[in-house]
Amino acid sequence: MLRKISLWAMSALIAFGSLNFELQESPGDKLLGVWEPSNGRARVKIDRIGNKYYGRIVWLIEPNDPETGLPKTDKNNPDASLKNVPLKGYRMLKDFVYNEDGTWSEGTIYDPLSGSTYNCVIKMKDKNTLDIRGYIGVQALGRTDIWKRLSVQPAKK
Amino acid sequence: MRKHLFKTLGILAVSAFMTWGCSSSGTTHDYSVSDLQFELVGPLFEGPNQGQYALEIDLATVLGDAYEEGMTVTDAHLKGATVLAGDSLGFSQVRSFVLSFASDNSEVAMQEAAFKNPLPEGVTEVALDVAPDAELGAIVAEGKLYLVLDADLAEDSYDGNRNFKLNLSLELTVNS
Repeated sequence: MLRKISLWAMSALIAFGSLNFELQESPGDKLLGVWEPSNGRARVKIDRIGNKYYGRIVWLIEPNDPETGLPKTDKNNPDASLKNVPLKGYRMLKDFVYNEDGTWSEGTIYDPLSGSTYNCVIKMKDKNTLDIRGYIGVQALGRTDIWKRLSVQPAKK
Repeated sequence: MRKHLFKTLGILAVSAFMTWGCSSSGTTHDYSVSDLQFELVGPLFEGPNQGQYALEIDLATVLGDAYEEGMTVTDAHLKGATVLAGDSLGFSQVRSFVLSFASDNSEVAMQEAAFKNPLPEGVTEVALDVAPDAELGAIVAEGKLYLVLDADLAEDSYDGNRNFKLNLSLELTVNS
């Protein structure tokens, strides 16, 4: 009987331990939040999905297509079947992994204006400033943009 | 003339070999799962809000008696995905849905697999438009994957969450 209880307690502890692990905050989570690129034309919310970080467009200075008057879609997507996906909500930062040196790498950045995807590495200069470096092949051949953190509060009704 | 005939026969032989190679590289199996629950946790803001579901696909369970040790998924394509309302709010204020697949593997990139934009009015379920070229094999082969459902809301919603359910079917190619 005692053995049964101990086994149950051990299982419960293991289960709790793994649940706790799932919920645990990662050091990379300091990247989470809403950020604005230097051109101020969009805002990107970074979330964690599993172990990786993703940034989706949550605001556009010009949300509607001037030609159609309808919300912009990802019309430059190289996959023709995805050209009608809404641009607002599109994940332009994908698959970033946090490294012990304080950078997020292995990810990509998507330029909706050209439909091109580049390798990308993110460095946090301070808690409100990011260096976002997009590149092809080697990091030396790339361009860095500065993104600023926004403190988002619900709009007053 | 003879040279031309040999050339034609050569091309036919190569084509036949390639077709045989592709068809013999694996067997296809349908995999369906339903009522996957997605909760969009409030406060929710006007614009896209995400919900996610961690799905585990155990190949041995999917294939049953057909499973042999060492079998792996080599390719996967989404055949269909339907979103259903998960609460009394239904699809109220929802402008569009996007469904993506993601994995923890740093070498496997997220894929957008289906979407509906805009949502038809007055429906009780939404069949998403599938991107036929979305290659999900590497993600599904991981066994554990993340389904991400983005709902674009027309208004802020500070009180409560939104719930949706997802039914999906995949075609899996498995090496044999």
